[in-house]
Amino acid sequence: MQLVINGETKDYNLQNLTVFELLKIENVKNPDVVTVQVNGKFFSKEQYTSTILKDGDEIEFLYFIGGGK
Amino acid sequence: MKISTKAIHGDRTNNDPYKSLKFPVYDSVAFEFDSSKEIEDAFLGRALAHTYSRISNPTLAELERRLAILSDAYGVVVTSSGMAAITNVILSIAGSGANIITSPFLFGNTYSLFEKTLKRFGFSAKYVDFSNPENIENAIDENTVAIFFETITNPQLAIFDIEKIVNMAKKHNLLTILDNTLATFYLFSSKKWGIDIEIISTTKYISGGATSVGGAIFDFGTYDYGRNKFIASDAEKYGKNALLVRLKREVYRNTGGCLSPHNAYLQLLGLETLALRIEKSSTNAMVLAKRLKNHKKIKKVNYPGLEDSPYYNNAKKYLDGYYGSILTIELSSKSECFKFMDNLKLIRRATNLHDNKTLVIHPASTIFCEYSKEKREELGVGEGLVRISVGIEDVEDIYEDVIQSLEVL
Repeated sequence: MQLVINGETKDYNLQNLTVFELLKIENVKNPDVVTVQVNGKFFSKEQYTSTILKDGDEIEFLYFIGGGK
Repeated sequence: MKISTKAIHGDRTNNDPYKSLKFPVYDSVAFEFDSSKEIEDAFLGRALAHTYSRISNPTLAELERRLAILSDAYGVVVTSSGMAAITNVILSIAGSGANIITSPFLFGNTYSLFEKTLKRFGFSAKYVDFSNPENIENAIDENTVAIFFETITNPQLAIFDIEKIVNMAKKHNLLTILDNTLATFYLFSSKKWGIDIEIISTTKYISGGATSVGGAIFDFGTYDYGRNKFIASDAEKYGKNALLVRLKREVYRNTGGCLSPHNAYLQLLGLETLALRIEKSSTNAMVLAKRLKNHKKIKKVNYPGLEDSPYYNNAKKYLDGYYGSILTIELSSKSECFKFMDNLKLIRRATNLHDNKTLVIHPASTIFCEYSKEKREELGVGEGLVRISVGIEDVEDIYEDVIQSLEVL
């Protein structure tokens, strides 16, 4: 399966890969403050474990500097 | 941990690379990168990095982080002033044709912002009497995007039934925006009472006693921005971060209302003594209000902590044990007010609040001078009104000065 992560195409030999697992595999920094978009749409933290990614999905891990949680 | 302890220690995280116990001033415009790819990632938001101090800066980010801890906000953006904070929020959630419902009891410059500056761009504010929340409901229409009000109004010192206003807003899926400058999160918890957005002039209590001008926007993460057509597109992309992203990647960035790093440093210092100053100045204000209320030269003393204040029940319900440091006295005329003010020996004539020094001003001839006498009456600012921002001096010295000055009338 191919995914586009922050503009870079990558291959994954995994079945039923979730956003939660991808955050770990990609070693995303500061996961508590990262904003996740899948195909341009926002995904909340509650959706991380239930969202299974599919071939061709474009995922963005974004940060917006500012105080908060 | 109690709020006064959190004001000093935050969450004990030390983000300074040298572990400086006071977070330093990063007084640099730009931040450099090791590669072109890294700077591209920073601009796209793919990396947690500062690029340019109009957009973000480490000292500002630390102040934002500390304010979020204290207020229990989801996210905080600090601005160059309280007025910049209000402007940034309205520009982010409204557009041509949009309106907000507010009270005529507002800070003079906020009223001017709504009635003059933003009106030219097709935005409008509807003014209703907030003492009856039904008036708010009757004013709501399909273009209403928010309900805006002040915790303790300046200078009328009204405190409305916040719970009823919040319930009304929720019923109609409207954003609530609260100017919490006079109370701060120390006396009133926006989070607890369901306010969506709080703004504060940090120039006042936060700055440590009028050391620097600044403002802050607090988003409690409670509003579904998908309900507002002016920001719904960002809600789809960024969820509960929609307003913070709209600010940081558009409105705040494009309008340039950033706080200076030096002011952020001063305000971080100010935060540490916030509790002491609020408690001392509020206690002083209560003493003065009680002693002055039966003075024969004063027609009326307005202070929400007085039991005969029409706002006492709301003050007791919503404020956390203190009633703020602002009181007003009513004299018979503008000339009486000027005589009283000009004879003060200790108290300073100046337009600010929450300085460590006690300050006095005649709102009608200053903050509200751009309006007619009739309009001022409508806004709750009479010709005989004197506003006293009580400082942290010994209350006996403040009282003595007020009494000796009343004697010339």
